[in-house]
Amino acid sequence: MLTIDSLSKSFDKGKNYALEDVTFDLKAGHVCAIVGESGSGKTTLVRLIAGLERPDHGSISLGDKVIASLDKFVQPEKRKIGLVFQEYALFPHLTILDNVLYGISKLKNKKERAQEMLDLVGLSNMGKRYPHQLSGGQQQRVALARALAPKPSLLILDEPFSNLDAMLRTQLRNEVFDIIKKTEVTVLFVTHDTQDALSVADEILILQNGKVVQKDAAANLYVKPNTLYVASLFGSTIHINKNLQTAFSCPLKESCCHAIRNEKIKVNPSANDPHCEYITRAEVVKKVELGDSTQLLLKLESGEQLSVMTQDKNVADTINIGFNSKDILEFDHE
Amino acid sequence: MKRFVLAMAAFALLAACGNDNKKKDNSTEKEMVKDQVVNVYTHRHYEPDQNIFRMFEEKTGIKVKVINASADELIQKMKMEGKQSPADVLITVDAGRLSRAKDQGLLQSIESNILENAIPKHLQDEDNQWFGLTKRARIIAYSKDRVKPEDLSTYEDLVNPKWKGKILVRSSSNIYNQSLMASIIANNGEEAAKSWAEGIVANMARSPKGSDRDQVKAVVAGEGDLAIVNSYYIGKMLNSPDPEEVKTAKQIGLFFPNQEDRGTHINVSGAGVAKYAPNRANAILFIEYLISEEAQKVFTDANYEYPILESVEPVQDIKDWGDFKEDNLELNKLGENNKKAVLIFDETSWK
Amino acid sequence: MKQVGNKNEAFSLKTRLKRLKRDSNRWSVFTLAIVFFLALPIIFIGVELFSGPGETWSHIVRYLLPEYIGNSLYLVFLCSILVLILGVSSAWLVSRFNFPLRQQMEWLLILPLAIPSYIVGYAYAGIFDYGGSMNLLFRQLNLDFIRIDIMNRAGLAFVLSISLFPYVYVSARAFFLNQANNLLEASKMLGVGEGKTFFRLMLPLARPAIVAGLVLVLMEVLNDYGAASYYGVNTFTTGIFRSWFSLEEPETAVYLSALLILIIFALILFEKWQVRKVKFSSSKTNSTQIQRKRPKKSMQWLIFSVVFLPVFLGFVLPVTQLIYWAVLTASTVFDMQFLIISLQSFGIAITSAIITVFFALLLIYFSKWSTLLSIKNIARVGVLGYAIPGAVIAIGIMIPTLALDKWLIKMFGNFGIDSGLIINGTLIALLYAYAVRFLAVAYNPIESTALKVDSSIPDSSKVLGVGNLKTFFKIEFPLIKTGVFSAVILVFIDVMKELPLTLILKPYHIDTLAVKAFEYASDEMVMEASIPSLFIIFTAMIPVIFLNKLLIKK
Repeated sequence: MLTIDSLSKSFDKGKNYALEDVTFDLKAGHVCAIVGESGSGKTTLVRLIAGLERPDHGSISLGDKVIASLDKFVQPEKRKIGLVFQEYALFPHLTILDNVLYGISKLKNKKERAQEMLDLVGLSNMGKRYPHQLSGGQQQRVALARALAPKPSLLILDEPFSNLDAMLRTQLRNEVFDIIKKTEVTVLFVTHDTQDALSVADEILILQNGKVVQKDAAANLYVKPNTLYVASLFGSTIHINKNLQTAFSCPLKESCCHAIRNEKIKVNPSANDPHCEYITRAEVVKKVELGDSTQLLLKLESGEQLSVMTQDKNVADTINIGFNSKDILEFDHE
Repeated sequence: MKRFVLAMAAFALLAACGNDNKKKDNSTEKEMVKDQVVNVYTHRHYEPDQNIFRMFEEKTGIKVKVINASADELIQKMKMEGKQSPADVLITVDAGRLSRAKDQGLLQSIESNILENAIPKHLQDEDNQWFGLTKRARIIAYSKDRVKPEDLSTYEDLVNPKWKGKILVRSSSNIYNQSLMASIIANNGEEAAKSWAEGIVANMARSPKGSDRDQVKAVVAGEGDLAIVNSYYIGKMLNSPDPEEVKTAKQIGLFFPNQEDRGTHINVSGAGVAKYAPNRANAILFIEYLISEEAQKVFTDANYEYPILESVEPVQDIKDWGDFKEDNLELNKLGENNKKAVLIFDETSWK
Repeated sequence: MKQVGNKNEAFSLKTRLKRLKRDSNRWSVFTLAIVFFLALPIIFIGVELFSGPGETWSHIVRYLLPEYIGNSLYLVFLCSILVLILGVSSAWLVSRFNFPLRQQMEWLLILPLAIPSYIVGYAYAGIFDYGGSMNLLFRQLNLDFIRIDIMNRAGLAFVLSISLFPYVYVSARAFFLNQANNLLEASKMLGVGEGKTFFRLMLPLARPAIVAGLVLVLMEVLNDYGAASYYGVNTFTTGIFRSWFSLEEPETAVYLSALLILIIFALILFEKWQVRKVKFSSSKTNSTQIQRKRPKKSMQWLIFSVVFLPVFLGFVLPVTQLIYWAVLTASTVFDMQFLIISLQSFGIAITSAIITVFFALLLIYFSKWSTLLSIKNIARVGVLGYAIPGAVIAIGIMIPTLALDKWLIKMFGNFGIDSGLIINGTLIALLYAYAVRFLAVAYNPIESTALKVDSSIPDSSKVLGVGNLKTFFKIEFPLIKTGVFSAVILVFIDVMKELPLTLILKPYHIDTLAVKAFEYASDEMVMEASIPSLFIIFTAMIPVIFLNKLLIKK
């Protein structure tokens, strides 16, 4: 459906790349989340796909048609891609209905289609209002209705929830994706929040410094991250460096990089626990009560510090910690 | 707001169309009745001139179309327009500019007995390329309280140290000063002219600024004792709508220098027929009309210039100053020496 | 999935050329065409430079240039100080405090813009003249030994400052009104006093806005011809006229213009540099308006007098003098002809305003739609005309258009038609010249409002399948309307006041009020010049008030 091939973009004539050799494809009907920190190139990627920027190298195809390459460039208005901007970009001088009508003026039954869209996003009676009269969440839904009205083959959501607080965010995210599921459109969903990505995406693409680090189904990313960075994106992770290896007396392959998730570290394991091969002693530096669990900040004899979670309310000042060799994550490089 | 803008736009459209129509009218007119127009490039932007043009239109049915600008700009314009120039007649307020136009091949010789006979020989071009229309004298206005007219004699005498800090004169970019300097170069030579300019600068009451009228006012205000000014401005001040100006002008005395030798420097406002005049015959008719008695009367009565036609009496204000001896220098010399004059002004830092 | 080479080739010449081919669209071509059209007069002047200066160049360098440079720098320096004091203080006071007649003061402070500076110059010369009102007043008070001489450099600086300070006032006030509130509140919360808040916070923050206004003022100061020549102060511009006309050396005039243009470019670069250095314009405009303080009654009247002083000096006093003269001369000057000239002036000004704004829009949006980055920089070349004296632009226009006219006459001649001059001596040349001269006046307000429209708004229109042109008419134009109308009004006022260029290029039988006023004044009939001057002022005043309404509404 969407095919990206070695796409590169630089804003300073090749000194730095905002996007470097990005290659991936996306199946029709799938929801793909693009996750990365700010500055990782997410927005550049989206603007390239939408046609708002031009690639310096590589190509983008939609279906079997090339829409951007070194020789060819299809104007954004001809691409039939829906885009919901981070700041919504509603036309401030048009009513809600006119905003939705805007992209479908050539349609025969445009009035019906626009109303249908407003019904879909639950704003049936708001058509005559102006954008500034709506709440942030409502504006968001108008932007969605407007983008869906022309029946795009691909819908891109660029950080649609980043301006909202946590409560509203979850609620709105569910609402929006309920609507999207009904339309069966292919979706590219840009976010810096892994919770957003995990909860709605079929697959997730991780960008770091303009490069694709990993693209996989949501579940695999947690279990088999490609890099330490990906691992830490989906839960706090401890890098098992040389010192830790010595502390736990667990020699590991030198050519690889290893890590363990905090939650996999067991506090005071029983001495002959078969699932806890590597054990060491640690001094409790600080306890933080977090409701039903407690966070312990520990100091090993070698001086390394790390933190673990435990359900146990009464831990001694010095404890044993350990983990299972199966839980070790192994990467080719950091 | 919208309506206001719409109205403005509509008005603009109308205005633009209006102009367009006028343009079309002009061109069709030009083709149909070609001999009914005369295009005048003039530096004389005086109200009375408009009346003379109107009188001419009524009398002959020839329409007078005018472009007003300084002579220098008009000459540059004609030069650039070349053969396509629509100008028929060039009028300036200074003979130097006319002779410059002649030198640059912008004027043509014409045969007209009327002009030939009516205008004194030294006030018209020897090749009949331009003709004087009115005369002005560059005279000295002095403070009646502080200056005895007996002490005044010539332009040359103004460099006498007794006038130190007493002389008022306007900037050297003014054409009347340039022509005065050109006449001094022609009469006394370049070296003498330069030391004359140095002497004047040394005697100046203040750095040159303002108009001729301002020099007169400065005399009355006591900033200096003598002002070098153009005669017709005094006439205008005496008839000013501002009573204060009339009062000022009445407080000064006038002196015509160099009466004992070559005569007072005079300059003419004059006209010539453009080299590529599309309406040559009308142009000649037009200039001939300008030296007719009725036109000459307007020049002197309303603009306080000396008529060039001897049969026309100057207006009373001017007549009161009495007759004087004119410097009969060939006026083309003013044009020839103009650039030298400007250079001398700069070198002697006469601003 | 096939690999199409790697990104190491992305900036090789071959791929660059490929991209150039892909990205150059018709908008790039259109932009280049418009820039070329607008820069043509400047190019011709530039070409003249290669033919070398005239023979008097060394004479000028030796005797005149030091004075030109000295006077011009003196004016730039003194006007900067005066204009900053007048403009910034009044802008701050009307934005920050409540006092009697504050709302009236807001627009009265813009009115001096409606008077051409040479006319302010005439009026002040008349006021301080012997027999002028000031002199008469002193005589009444038996103080007539006091004579204030205004016709010198300092006087000229005063006249120019008092008539040009609104440029700084307008841009500083716009900043104070729209940007300042949050910061002001923050400063207040930190317990900082009024004076310190102004000098430590507001002044540095408003600097880019203030300097932008100041650069406009200085360009006008350097380009002034009417007032400087009347006051006998020799500057670059009077020097250009002198060497062109008195010395008959256009080539030397072009050389002087080139020097002047260099100075002005230095000013522009200075502005760009200082704006870049202080890039703290907040990206999102916080729309909360500034909260005005209401000081003690006595303080209020003090503020009122401080704010009223520039209005009085820049508008009330000169206009009163003009009205007095107008009463004295009305019977001889005023007739039907006058009404016609006024209408012609108005028509020409509004037509050229619309044309100029049209060009500015084309330039801004074509270069935006052209996806070549370099085009956007080239587009700015089109606004250079503002930095060039009107008389020089007039020469620059006459050279190419006359050549075109001659060619056209030849072409028509082949068909036996005598077409005459089609461009020169008609409105076409004049309107063309105005567009070249005043493009910057239209460009800047439009560009600044266009920048305020978040790029995601036109982007989302395009993504919704609407092309550039339609997006412009349906989305962008409604959003930048205020900028466009401000631009129309500003160009309108400038054209109403414009003199040297109009003198040279105006067609037959069309007069403008400015030309009429200058004709009288140059013939030492300053009193008679008062009526056309007043007509200019009142025709320009209406849109000035209208402009202020627009700014307030924003």
